[in-house]
Amino acid sequence: MAEASGSGEVAVVGVTKRFGETTAVKDLSLTIPHGSYCCLLGPSGCGKTTILRMIAGHENPTTGDIRIGGESVVGLPQVRRGTAMMFQSYALFPHRSVLDNVAFALKMRGAGLAERHAKARELLTKVQLENFADRLPAQLSGGQQQRVALARALITNPRVLLLDEPLSALDEYLRLRMRGELRRVQKELGITFIHVTHTQLEAIAVADTVVVMAHGRIEQAASARDIFIAPRNAYVARFVGGQNVLSGTVESAMNGTAAVAAENGARFAFPVGGIRPLRGSKLWGSIRRDRIALEKVPPGSKPAGGLNTIAGEVHTIENQGSYVKVTLELGHNEEFVAHLLDETFFANPLDIGDRVVARWSASDIKLLDDGPVAHEPASTQTAVATAG
Amino acid sequence: MHSADGSRPWTFYAFAAFFTLFVLFLYGPMTVIYILSFQGPQGGMTFPMNGISFHWFDALFSQTRVGDIAGSFQRSIGLAVAVALVTVLLSVIAGLGFRRPFRGSAVAFYLAIASLIMPGLFVGLGIALTFRLLGLGTNWFTSGLGAQLTWTLPFGLLIMFAVLGRFNRSYEEAATDLGATSWQRISEVTLPMLLPGIIGVALFGFTLSYDEIARTALTAGSANTLPLEIWAMTTNVTSPALYAVGAVTTVVSFVVITIALSSIAIVQRRRAAGARRATLTSTE
Amino acid sequence: MAILDQSADDYSASATTPGAGAEHRAVDAGGERASWFQIAPLVVVLALFFGLPMLVVLAVSFFDFDRTDIVPAFILDNYADLFRSEVTLRLYASSIKFALIVWAVTLVLGFNIAYFLVFHVRTMLWQIALFLLCTVPFLTSNIIRMISWIPFLGRNGIFNQALVGSGVVHQPLEFLLFSDFAVIVAYVHLFTLFMVVPIFNSMARIDKSLLEAAHDAGASRFRVVSEIVLPLSKSGIALGSIFVVTLVMGDSFVVRTMSGGQSASVVSALQNEVAALQYPPAAASAVIMVIIVTLMVAGILRLVDVRKELAR
Repeated sequence: MAEASGSGEVAVVGVTKRFGETTAVKDLSLTIPHGSYCCLLGPSGCGKTTILRMIAGHENPTTGDIRIGGESVVGLPQVRRGTAMMFQSYALFPHRSVLDNVAFALKMRGAGLAERHAKARELLTKVQLENFADRLPAQLSGGQQQRVALARALITNPRVLLLDEPLSALDEYLRLRMRGELRRVQKELGITFIHVTHTQLEAIAVADTVVVMAHGRIEQAASARDIFIAPRNAYVARFVGGQNVLSGTVESAMNGTAAVAAENGARFAFPVGGIRPLRGSKLWGSIRRDRIALEKVPPGSKPAGGLNTIAGEVHTIENQGSYVKVTLELGHNEEFVAHLLDETFFANPLDIGDRVVARWSASDIKLLDDGPVAHEPASTQTAVATAG
Repeated sequence: MHSADGSRPWTFYAFAAFFTLFVLFLYGPMTVIYILSFQGPQGGMTFPMNGISFHWFDALFSQTRVGDIAGSFQRSIGLAVAVALVTVLLSVIAGLGFRRPFRGSAVAFYLAIASLIMPGLFVGLGIALTFRLLGLGTNWFTSGLGAQLTWTLPFGLLIMFAVLGRFNRSYEEAATDLGATSWQRISEVTLPMLLPGIIGVALFGFTLSYDEIARTALTAGSANTLPLEIWAMTTNVTSPALYAVGAVTTVVSFVVITIALSSIAIVQRRRAAGARRATLTSTE
Repeated sequence: MAILDQSADDYSASATTPGAGAEHRAVDAGGERASWFQIAPLVVVLALFFGLPMLVVLAVSFFDFDRTDIVPAFILDNYADLFRSEVTLRLYASSIKFALIVWAVTLVLGFNIAYFLVFHVRTMLWQIALFLLCTVPFLTSNIIRMISWIPFLGRNGIFNQALVGSGVVHQPLEFLLFSDFAVIVAYVHLFTLFMVVPIFNSMARIDKSLLEAAHDAGASRFRVVSEIVLPLSKSGIALGSIFVVTLVMGDSFVVRTMSGGQSASVVSALQNEVAALQYPPAAASAVIMVIIVTLMVAGILRLVDVRKELAR
């Protein structure tokens, strides 16, 4: 009864999806290696769920192909694709017991009662719900329902598991716990997981590869670590969080460093490596929020200027446990955020309204793609994932 | 619009009184008839009660000058069952069909609505004329059946719209995802979950047919259905036998309604079984 | 136009030819065909037993007739007679009068009952129970419910006996039965439910927190109803109105029985013609009636768009 698991490599090849007038996905290509955990991350309407549903077979691409394990699966029913889907609302059949829910796929394939119930119990044991086999879904809590949904999807030994915002129906506490569960299960099974979410930290927490999407296109596909420390452009930098985006015009460039003047008067030094940006062109860079030092400006005195500093007023202070998030207002409604370690902050605490100078070192700045003179031509939108 | 301490505003009591009056208005006159149907043998069509007896119920089944009660009753039941079955079959399938967009859906929809609000006598007239022009005679089981369907099918369709509107399609997607063929999906997931609505359609199909008079009047042919027989009785019969008929036919209606509503209640209860008992026992 | 679902694709992707780069439009056509098959039986039955007969009525309205049979022809005499006769005008005046009065009464009743059920009844269980309480009579015989008013309203009926017995009046009230009053009472009794259900549906969809917000902003209970509840129930009111108006205009049984033959409606006159085998004039009368009622319904639809009531 088990579906022979072939390769779970998923390739989306030049897929476009149109719904009437709107284009949800624009000529998108993506390769997800077998056995990896890939998160599609983006705001509502970016197309991530559409991609998922096309891989699942619930929608067909308008143009383009989708291949699993090397063979095209467009138009094939689920049975032949080797995929299984976990729905956002779980979609557990309310009129069937938990056991019958899990055994459902086997029933559809004609498995006998004893056989499919045995297999279903096996899976329920794996998710620690063997005592709930005869209950109805309505009698289970949200977390338990999710595990049933997982068991139901896994009973056919799919090579790819598709999860549509699996954690969004849970409360915060459960969400954090289930994240680890999903990751653990994926590693244990060794199959490909494709997980759609709009929560940045969730994506980074579980995935090998994070694919950041906007408006039907891939903005960046990279490892979870790279998405965070080396965002490709301002959109990814802002969406994933943890970065400040800086921009300005080039004044001079020499020895791998460009002097950049921002509109608000601040001056930055961007490491530009081998490129020679033209004077007057616009450059964009990002600096991690936790690589910033804040210095209070004594009232009455002028803030010390200098390269890679910014002066502003403390706008909000948020305690986040192990660090404190300080947001500065730079005037003209510009914001700048610094994450200070809690000991650092509380050694010299700041107040709302204090005038401060933020500084960082040039080497911590990463160049972003957005300027007219970017680095090497943008790599193809093919995911560079490494498995596990 | 309740006050913070949970007590009810005065308007609640005003509305509740109004509602009670309305319920009395709905049930009162009928109750009077049921009481009067137990009128004594010498009693007249109105109060006072001249003794209590089953005399008039007796008269229904024994005296033929009261009318062909037994025969018309059988015909009405048979017709109602047939109408209910056909209505369920056609309305449920059509309701499923309307879920997708398709060319001509507006035409089909307005056809059903028009059929619903067209005065029954016109429809009856039309069918009678059509049959006449085709050289066919009207008959309660052919033209009568068809006439009643023009009334029950739109109702059934509207009920299906209401039920399907609340139906979450991700259950069906999950079934497909787990390998169900179209037929398996429908028989394992869609229909079972729609069962309460389907029972509702059957209930309406039966009762609307059983009580129908306007459309049936011209299409029943020579043999009357029960409502037509009763209508004839209103002019011919001047005894409480008329009330006895009313009581009997209403009892039948109540029995059918009770069966349908209890089935729905049973189905719902099995599904949400102990939903309120859940969650707190979670071992997270 | 998708009546129920706005998604563009059939959710169950039917098997199409797989292949890279192919346009996958086959799914939509397959879904459309499936829908056609599914609605076909219902549409065929309605076309045969409603659409066709209506066309026949239209045709027969132009026929001639003699004492024994109808004669296929194309004459306008039937219509001419209708327009010339002042009986027609009186009948329409009578029908429309009833329709308007009944509409007004059922609207007030229906609105208040729906309002009570939706906003004052707290638990779902009670809401359903009370709603069923109102609906069950509708599922019993109309005729019986109608004639049950006769012993109730008659000269020696319960109501009069109660009134006289308690001394409110000295003589039984005559106008209660076999009068316009009786007709209206019967109509209201039979048709109020048709007003309650659509309005109930509309109101149930109103987000309760809207009322709370209005209340917080200082609106009196009455203002909350007039500013928020009423506008948001418009489509339900319109739908209920369409039902009630078409039911009253199309009735002949109630007006005959309850007025004791004193009043008539268009359709009761039509029923007389049918009984006298005068089919072409009856058909012409039907056609005119349909046109007039359609205009009334169109008028209501002009004011309020009920499509969102029917299409979810």
